[in-house]
Amino acid sequence: MPAVRNIRLCTKDCMCLYVCPTGATDTENSIIDVSKCIKGCRKCVDACPSGAISLLPDEYPPQQSKSENVVNALRTLAKSKVEQESLATDIAKLSDDAVTRQFAEAIAKSNRLMAEDLIRESGYMLPQSDEVRSLLESMTQNPPKNFPVEKVETLLKQLNSIHKASSK
Amino acid sequence: MRKFKCSICGYTYDEAAGLPEKGIAPGTRWEDIPQDFVCPLCGALRTVFEELKETSPIPAHTSQEDEHFESLRELTPGELSALCSNLAKGCEKQHLTEAMDLFYQLADYYKSKVAAHSSQNFEDIAEVLKYDLSESYSKANTVAAEKADRGALRALVWSEKVSRMGNSLLERYAKEGNTLLENTKLYVCEICGFIYLGNDLPEICPVCKVPNYKISQIGRR
Ligand code: SF4
Ligand code: SF4
Ligand SMILES: [Zn+2]
Ligand SMILES: [Zn+2]
Repeated sequence: MPAVRNIRLCTKDCMCLYVCPTGATDTENSIIDVSKCIKGCRKCVDACPSGAISLLPDEYPPQQSKSENVVNALRTLAKSKVEQESLATDIAKLSDDAVTRQFAEAIAKSNRLMAEDLIRESGYMLPQSDEVRSLLESMTQNPPKNFPVEKVETLLKQLNSIHKASSK
Repeated sequence: MRKFKCSICGYTYDEAAGLPEKGIAPGTRWEDIPQDFVCPLCGALRTVFEELKETSPIPAHTSQEDEHFESLRELTPGELSALCSNLAKGCEKQHLTEAMDLFYQLADYYKSKVAAHSSQNFEDIAEVLKYDLSESYSKANTVAAEKADRGALRALVWSEKVSRMGNSLLERYAKEGNTLLENTKLYVCEICGFIYLGNDLPEICPVCKVPNYKISQIGRR
């Protein structure tokens, strides 16, 4: 359980630096140094007056199984949102009017965010989950030309090791 | 006296109370409030307000248990792109920076595979959106409720509200064109996609309730 700091909440009073036995919290602006952190010690979590530090869980429960009908219903909507996004993106690309582009960009972005959320709820919550890893696996099978296979393989390697570390 | 509820954010206009801060006296009937009235919380048009009726909840319609008539459809490049960009965000939350970058690259790859459209106008978007609102959400809500899938129901509630708001914006845009955006700012909530047109952002997103530092302004370029 490595500690992480939410910079939004951090009030920079540096109690975490004071209490951390290993200096893992010395990182000023970004995340706590995961390689130095004695996972699970939680001294910094308790010391931070602003509630800015928390411990990431080692293990997330496996996802509830999803009904196929629910998945399809969510995909139907996600597909529609993606279509609206791409229509709006095309308008934004081709219009020579700044206001039209602005409006089209807002619509494209809004639809992308909705599509992301709908797809995520259709069974792909966690990057290291079985569902995501087997999807990536299937992408590497008979990939189309120019498909970035090596990238997917690197990703799989990383996600597999995170998954293994969490399910001893 | 009746009550009318904003279907986007849930704000309720009560005829008995009026809205004195906006110059609408207590007792003002819905029909008599100014035509350009917009929701004081989310800026939605009055057309998205619905009268609140005291109704007994309709019993959920019974389903044939576990119908498997639909088999899973393959994901399209556009969906895969959205999936990958969302997983990138998931990696970011766990501070997996390298995996995040890779997912973003994969999202770009799939995005480049989305076919271009032959026509580019806002009416086409409005048409697709109308179908979501008239058909797809009610179907999806029914199956998600049958399965008591809370995650799916939550996502559907958010995106249906965002869609209604988008629909009312598109309708206004069809009438007013670019003047709709004159002298006003445009924002999108980074969490739920809610589009806000106006100069004073609400404290929290009216749809997903995230604090407004997560709501980004869309600039004019
Ligand atoms: S103790 Fe908390 S508020 Fe203080 S520097 Fe550390 S994270 Fe920031
Ligand atoms: S959990 Fe302990 S070791 Fe890890 S950063 Fe916090 S104080 Fe340092
Ligand atoms: Zn409202
Ligand atoms: Zn929101």
